[in-house]
Amino acid sequence: MSNAQTDPLLQVETTCGSLLYELQIIWDEVGEADTDRDKMLLELEQECLEVYRRKVDLANRSRAQLRQAIADSEAELAAICSAMGERPVHIRQSDQNAGSLKEELRRILPQVEEMRKRKSDRRNQFLEVQGQIQEISNEIYGSSEYMTSKMVVDDSDLSLRKLEELHRKLHELQKEKSDRLRQIQEHLCTVNSLCSVLGVDFKQIVTEVHPSLGDSGEPKDISNDTIEQLAAAIRKLREVKLQRMQRLQDIATTMLELWNLMDTPIEEQQMFQNVTCNIAASEHEITEPNTLSVDFINYVEAEVSRLEELKSSKMKELVLKKRSELEESCRKTHMVPEVDSTMEDAIEAIESGAVDPAYILEQIELQIAKLKEEAFSRKEILEKVEKWLAACDEESWLEEYNRDDNRYNAGRGAHLTLKRAEKARALVNKLPAMVDALTSKTMAWEKERGVPFTYDGIRLLSMLEEYNLLREEKEQERRRQRDQKKLQGQLIAEQEALYGSKPSPSKTQSVKKAPRMSTGGASSRRLSVGGAMVQTPKPIRKSDRVHHNNQLNPQDDCFSVLSAGRRGLDIAGLPVKKHSFGNATVREAESPMMRVPFSPISSTASSKNKTNLSDDLNMTHSETLQKTLATTNNMKFTTPSKTISLANEENKTPNAQAILHVPSTPSTVSVPMQTVMTPAPPPVSFGTKVVEDIPEEIEYSFEERRAGFVLPKSHIKSLIQV
Amino acid sequence: MTAVPPPAPGRELANPPSDGISNLRFSNHSDHLLVSSWDKSVRLYDASANALRGEFMHGGPVLDCCFHDDSSGFSASADNTVRRLVFSSNKEDILGRHDAPVRCVEYSYAAGQLITGSWDKTLKCWDPRGASGQDRTLVGTYPQPERVYSLSLVGNRLVVATAGRHVNVYDLRNMSQPEQRRESSLKYQTRCVRCYPNGTGYALSSVEGRVAMEFFDLSEASQAKKYAFKCHRKSEAGRDIVYPVNAIAFHPVYGTFATGGCDGYVNVWDGNNKKRLYQYSKYPTSIAALSFSRDGRLLAVASSYTFEEGEKPHEPDAIYVRSVNEIEVKPKPKVYPNPPA
Repeated sequence: MSNAQTDPLLQVETTCGSLLYELQIIWDEVGEADTDRDKMLLELEQECLEVYRRKVDLANRSRAQLRQAIADSEAELAAICSAMGERPVHIRQSDQNAGSLKEELRRILPQVEEMRKRKSDRRNQFLEVQGQIQEISNEIYGSSEYMTSKMVVDDSDLSLRKLEELHRKLHELQKEKSDRLRQIQEHLCTVNSLCSVLGVDFKQIVTEVHPSLGDSGEPKDISNDTIEQLAAAIRKLREVKLQRMQRLQDIATTMLELWNLMDTPIEEQQMFQNVTCNIAASEHEITEPNTLSVDFINYVEAEVSRLEELKSSKMKELVLKKRSELEESCRKTHMVPEVDSTMEDAIEAIESGAVDPAYILEQIELQIAKLKEEAFSRKEILEKVEKWLAACDEESWLEEYNRDDNRYNAGRGAHLTLKRAEKARALVNKLPAMVDALTSKTMAWEKERGVPFTYDGIRLLSMLEEYNLLREEKEQERRRQRDQKKLQGQLIAEQEALYGSKPSPSKTQSVKKAPRMSTGGASSRRLSVGGAMVQTPKPIRKSDRVHHNNQLNPQDDCFSVLSAGRRGLDIAGLPVKKHSFGNATVREAESPMMRVPFSPISSTASSKNKTNLSDDLNMTHSETLQKTLATTNNMKFTTPSKTISLANEENKTPNAQAILHVPSTPSTVSVPMQTVMTPAPPPVSFGTKVVEDIPEEIEYSFEERRAGFVLPKSHIKSLIQV
Repeated sequence: MTAVPPPAPGRELANPPSDGISNLRFSNHSDHLLVSSWDKSVRLYDASANALRGEFMHGGPVLDCCFHDDSSGFSASADNTVRRLVFSSNKEDILGRHDAPVRCVEYSYAAGQLITGSWDKTLKCWDPRGASGQDRTLVGTYPQPERVYSLSLVGNRLVVATAGRHVNVYDLRNMSQPEQRRESSLKYQTRCVRCYPNGTGYALSSVEGRVAMEFFDLSEASQAKKYAFKCHRKSEAGRDIVYPVNAIAFHPVYGTFATGGCDGYVNVWDGNNKKRLYQYSKYPTSIAALSFSRDGRLLAVASSYTFEEGEKPHEPDAIYVRSVNEIEVKPKPKVYPNPPA
């Protein structure tokens, strides 16, 4: 090569020489002066120098560039090495003169290349680790917390140490993540067990916290937020559990109490064993599924309320029983129980829950105790009263017996009755003493206690008093009877003296009458004999007066004669002899003996009043059926009694009456009858009327009026014809 | 139970009739209660369970009803029909007709016949077993002097009370004519007649607060026992207010009886001793009907306005079933010595 190079130089040198020669020739030919020739040659020399200088400058510049490149590369290499934390591979070897600059550059360039490659590898490693860190911390702290900008790797430090550091960090994060996962798992377990105990849907609760937790396939969310929420859910569930547990334990306690109270059978208790066994358990001990579910609690509650109902009904029963006990003992001791209605009130109160049944029970117990105490104090007197009443019974029996004309006839058991009569007589003799003793005892008792001694609600003293009055009366009656007998005896004696014969001793009315008065009780059988005689239904204190009344107006038996304690029936009618015979037959029987004397009275009385009356009656029936009656009227009114003597009157009316007239068909007879029987009241017009006078009026019952039932015209006519 | 005082009005039955109650009766075999009403229905209740067990609708108001046995009964309606009601199937069939509203119905176990009384002035006897046409079920028609108002049976005796205060006593074995024809011993319209359970007579009540106690036996001794007494009255400022006596019911065991009047009171009487045994607290309105259960432990009371004052606003119709204490219905031994009757 060098040859090739030298050749052109040589050629150029030759060319220069030849060219100079050529120039010489030219000049010679031209005849140029020597000065011009020298000038020309200097010019040529200067131009050549210029060219050389330029080339040298060029070369100099390229050498500087080369040096720069080498220095740059070395610098880069050094930078990379330092970033990677490595000792620089390349130590400046320029001192050692490693050859030309180009060589040096050639040697250094691959080193730089390699280092660059290594650096990028390292960088990638960093990126990878940082990406993982980013990912995990995103999971833990939430996505945006770690800024993505951090992802840019810091090129200045790519050393292994740093890498190591990053790796450590990554590891830490991974550990935290697994920790969190474990924690969440634990929480989930807790939630699950709580849910099962409370009977709540686990999935639902968990999904509410985070949807990922409910799905087993998905990776679970492990953020702080989730964990916190989960913990809160657990807290909440635990609170609910505590509450429910408290409630269940309360219920269970109530249930146990009720069981104890009512001796509930074991089989029934067994069913709720799982409830009662938890009565003292603490919160964490209750793990069985559904023991605290709403359904279960409701179920237990229902049982408790059932038991409670049972209890209240039993309570009520008990109250009733106690009450009946109270009544019973009242009855036994012939005391009048206190207010009856309180019972109803009490039960109502219990039902409404206003009053504790136990309280009422207590009260009743108290009453019973009081009653017992009182009964004890009454006992002695009561025994005496029983004896007295028994004696009274015997007395009345004896009276009845004495009245029996056939009492000495030998019959079955006659000797027994005789014996009884004997005993009774002895007893009757003791009666006054008995009454006296009883009276004094009772008085002493009353004095001591300050309250009247009552027997079945009637004051015993008044009973005794009445009895004494009655007895006195009886005595008087007997005396009168005796007088009469004496008189009769005289009469008989006179008659005997006159006619020489002695009539058989006949029983006078009074004989029959007297004992009846004394007994006081009105038995209808005996009424029939007297006809004009009505007894008071029950002897009363005012018996003289009543007695008097009876004589005056035997039919009347109104409320005035009723004793305070009890009311007898108000017996109005007197026995009507033969009244009930069929109309037809009676009519036939009676028709020949029409009683003239009475008819005018009744007809006049009735005709006088009929107008009044029809008005009255219409009113009473269309309205309230009220009537105002003077006492005398009342008497009349209440006694529709009839005797045979009047039967014709009575029977005459119905055949016309029966169908045609107003509902009220007071028999005309009743008035005259009364006037006949009882001298006192004059005939009173009320209730009397002549039936034939109002044939248009048809009576209707309430039902017929309501149904709008009207008798057809034809019916009426035919009936009238009948 | 005997010692417990009576509850105020007794238990009120649920689902009462919507209009006036014309009658109610307990079954002879159970505590079932049959109720007829102006609301055109007959209802069957289980009184002890307080439950409505059946309801039968009629063409018109029902004026009376009675049991046949526990599975069937009869009704008398204002649409002139006599019906047989079968409780188990809730079916009814018409036994026959009168020419006017049928007022009362009674079933005689002695004769196996149904007896109905109507405002057409007849009594009809029916054989309920041949329920296949009127020609076969109707046993006989017996004309009465007036519209029939009340019937009562005891054994073979039938007592018919009509308007015009007639009372006919029949022997069911010979219905051709009455055994006795009587006139009511009360002066006013008859409301109700009921035979004594012992078969010796009957009680008869009138619109004028009075009840007569009568005897079948015509002998002088028996007739001497009859009497009448006043009841269901009120004295106010010297005025005597008298109420109709709508209902009489005899106690099946003791022979005592309860009366119910338009004053809303129910009284219990001892007819033999002529005593009033008990007065129950006042009911809201008139007592329309009364019935003792078969053992006399229950008393059904129909508190229902009986139209005595025409159309007017009144308390709602109600049925009370009260348990009866022995003390209320048992004849009382007297405090005072009385010769044993």
